[in-house]
Amino acid sequence: MAVGQRTVDEETTPARGWGLNTWDSPWLNFKFLLGVAIVLLILLFGLVGPLFWDTDLAYTGAGPLNKPPVWAEGGLPEHPLGTESNGRDMLAQLILATPSSLKVGFLAAIIGMGVGMVLGSIAGYVGGWWDHVIRTISDSAITIPALVVLVVIASYVQMTDTTAMALILALFAWPGPTRLVRSQVLTLRERSYVRMAHLSGASALEIMFVEMLPNMLPWLAASLTGGISAAILGATGLEVLGLGPTRVPSLGLIINQATTNAALVRGLVWWWLPPIIILMVIFVGFFLMTIGLDEIANPRIRQFSSSRRERTAAGELPAVGLVDDGAGGEEDAALKVNDLHVHYFTPRGEVIAANGVNFKLRKGEILGLVGESGCGKTTVAMAILQVVQPPGRIVQGEVRIEDRDLVSLSGKALRQVRWRDLALVPQGAMNSLNPVTPIREQIADAILAHESIGRVELEQRILGLLNDVGLPERVISMFPHELSGGMKQRVCIAMSIALNPQVIIADEPTSALDVVVQRVVAQTLLEVKERLGVSMVMIGHDMGLQAQLVDRIAVMYAGNLVEVAPVESAFAEPLHPYTQLLIESIPSIKERKPLNVTEGLTHDLRDPPPGCIFQFRCKHVEQICRERRPALVERDKDHLAACWLYEPDRHSLIELEEA
Amino acid sequence: MRGLTKEYVLQRFLMYLLTIWMGTTLIFVIPRLAPGDPVSEMVGRLSLDAGYIENADKLIASWKARFGLDAPIHIQYLRYWGNVFRLNFGYSLSHFPTEAWSMVSKALPWSLGLLTVATVLSFSIGVTIGSLMGWRRTPRLLQMFLPSTLTFTAIPYFMFGIMLIYLVAFELDWLPATGAYSRRVDPGWNLPFIKNVLSHAILPVVSIVLTSMGGWALGMRGLMISVNNEDYFLLAQVKGLSPARIFFRYGVRNAILPALTALALGLGGLISGSILVEFIFAYPGTGYTLYQSIISQDYTVTQAIANLIIMVTATSVFLLDLLYPFIDPRITYKRNMR
Ligand code: SF4
Repeated sequence: MAVGQRTVDEETTPARGWGLNTWDSPWLNFKFLLGVAIVLLILLFGLVGPLFWDTDLAYTGAGPLNKPPVWAEGGLPEHPLGTESNGRDMLAQLILATPSSLKVGFLAAIIGMGVGMVLGSIAGYVGGWWDHVIRTISDSAITIPALVVLVVIASYVQMTDTTAMALILALFAWPGPTRLVRSQVLTLRERSYVRMAHLSGASALEIMFVEMLPNMLPWLAASLTGGISAAILGATGLEVLGLGPTRVPSLGLIINQATTNAALVRGLVWWWLPPIIILMVIFVGFFLMTIGLDEIANPRIRQFSSSRRERTAAGELPAVGLVDDGAGGEEDAALKVNDLHVHYFTPRGEVIAANGVNFKLRKGEILGLVGESGCGKTTVAMAILQVVQPPGRIVQGEVRIEDRDLVSLSGKALRQVRWRDLALVPQGAMNSLNPVTPIREQIADAILAHESIGRVELEQRILGLLNDVGLPERVISMFPHELSGGMKQRVCIAMSIALNPQVIIADEPTSALDVVVQRVVAQTLLEVKERLGVSMVMIGHDMGLQAQLVDRIAVMYAGNLVEVAPVESAFAEPLHPYTQLLIESIPSIKERKPLNVTEGLTHDLRDPPPGCIFQFRCKHVEQICRERRPALVERDKDHLAACWLYEPDRHSLIELEEA
Repeated sequence: MRGLTKEYVLQRFLMYLLTIWMGTTLIFVIPRLAPGDPVSEMVGRLSLDAGYIENADKLIASWKARFGLDAPIHIQYLRYWGNVFRLNFGYSLSHFPTEAWSMVSKALPWSLGLLTVATVLSFSIGVTIGSLMGWRRTPRLLQMFLPSTLTFTAIPYFMFGIMLIYLVAFELDWLPATGAYSRRVDPGWNLPFIKNVLSHAILPVVSIVLTSMGGWALGMRGLMISVNNEDYFLLAQVKGLSPARIFFRYGVRNAILPALTALALGLGGLISGSILVEFIFAYPGTGYTLYQSIISQDYTVTQAIANLIIMVTATSVFLLDLLYPFIDPRITYKRNMR
């Protein structure tokens, strides 16, 4: 997962309780609330109507025939919405019909949901044979055209009341919720908090209701609102065909009577249109609720729409306002990162993920960029590659390869530089290969985007690349799911060298692989680098691995580089207290572990403290550390550190200021 | 290794049979669970009308024999299945001596044509709209315009159909309101007839397409957004591929797979909805014939047509299932996909 941008992570934030009473609750979704309001309004019309209007007029048929509504010519005040061909009052009919349509929908959908929850939980939780049977049946049942069966049933069974109809409709309302609950249970049971609950001995029912239900609530609600409108549609369908209860007025029945009496041709608009309008409003209401709930349930959709808005608000182009640091003399730099600032514009504030990062990658070297997860190293990698995902944005800085600043490039100019000059070996290669296309096409894609070569040559070249990383030729026509993790990673390495780039960014290339495979992949990477003379930035959190692979190391903490040094001196005499902490925490070079030395960050990334960012955890903290941020300066030969300890004049600096 | 495996085909085929079995059994069982004896009631009602039908005695006799009123229910069920299996549904009651099956097969092409066109249109338009809505690189102007295409999404097909009939056919008089073709043209493969058929199909197709494409669009939008966040999508950008290539080969190509599953699962609903559309437009397809058979209490035709629709739906789903492994190479590996 090379994507450090997943700021809203479903995995880490389980819903506890029902989450309805906080002001930034996702339930305060505009579409959802609007939908609720619409449905309530319609319900109110049906419930309060009988108090104000004589609903008996719906039956008697004593009124005059075919009278238009009161506002039209010939309309009568005693029939404000007019009458139809049997002299029945339209308003009274509508008042009676509306709640009965809603009732059928609610009843059928709730029964369906109940059955679905039981079956779905059994299938998801018990699994095995039960799961197989339930899934097969519900998947088959869902494809049966419900209305056909309903119509046939209704033609025998005279449905006298709405409850009977709801029961029959419920026959078709359970497969959807069953599928949903099953897949939700399957997903949720893998989540860490559910596993924890399981280990702590909670019963299955407890887990279901305490841990799972609140988390699947938005999904269930969306399924319920969808189910209600489907059931109303089914009921209305029967009524429109004249197969519903005929003694009770219903919206569908009014439409049926209107169409069979040729109301359309006769221009009796007030007969057929009002029930349709009411039904449409009901459907729009439930539809709004459903899509609102979808957004509530799926944070990515929410993020997608909000990030688009913010991008527009924040303007698209970064302000590149940086003085050239006069580094023209350093011809040996393959890649220069100058004063890079990346911010994430989240709804809860601006997160500073990279804060003025500066470094140079020398030609032919491997520079290790290390830090704990969340320190911003992946963000820096993404920023170098120009793929910072919204709501993140490069707000300032340069990324230079030769004379070009990639930050200022876009469109075709940027595409030409990509891969040709700057390639990526993604993290773990878990999901970095397109699952539906064979390896051949994915490597060919990269080559053909930059060169036009014939098919035979292309094939030869791809085979050569696979050979370079020690993969057999048959891999060329295989699909990603047919390869092991290590093989996928080597495919990614082969792909990265396809165009012989100057710079490769390797984002934790060996994580998520087991130790033996790690070694092979690291070896492959080194060989490739040696042979091609490519320069490489290797992102990682594994200090031990870095010690073996890289030439220089850059240590990052909370969005800032704190130390940059050749690997020997960084390990022999680390200068920055944070680096010291990191190195101390390596148990032994052999037994490698991810960095996990501390309690993590001690300050809020939205609001970094003035002064040194490490001050809250530093043993050596002094007055000046709290007031002024130390710059990254050379303290030893080729050894840079951002720490006041190595500034002999630090005391006079403070006094000067105070004077 | 890829494509169809025996196991997969077998599993899908079993589900295919199961679907048909469930649908047809529901039709058989539910009426018999209801209070009263529906079959004798039917025959009773029929004998009331019998005066109007020639050969009435014969008919009732054959009816009784066919449904074996005195036979125990499991025998009835077996016989029913034998008939379903041989597509033998007997004679139409209202159009005696036409066979029920021949009435049904006359209606089928109209429905298949209408539905195929409408489904293909609404699915492809909806998927296109949804893909563009869920893609970050879609031009701003288009991105702003696209949601307006979802306006009619929540409205059931047939209600929209009624409005279209009123506005386009009656008020504006642009297109014919009902039927599949006018009486004045000769059916056959000639241009005027084809034109006539097409003009009759426009309103039903439009009412299905405009109201159903939004559903596909919304689903596809969500899928596309998920794909946007996948690592391979990011890598495609870093590779310097053209936006069009990323959009199609990496975005749509992956997002469309669950959408196709949704299409297979949604066919039943689509067909249900089209019954009402046919009713509203008096379109002489299976849905309309089903309605008429019920109105005229033509029991055999009702049976035949309901069973046929169930079978056609299941067959289409089965065919889609068979197609799927060719589009998604993983399918035979992941047994839990659907
Ligand atoms: S600047 Fe001060 S607080 Fe920061 S690391 Fe150095 S000594 Fe510690």
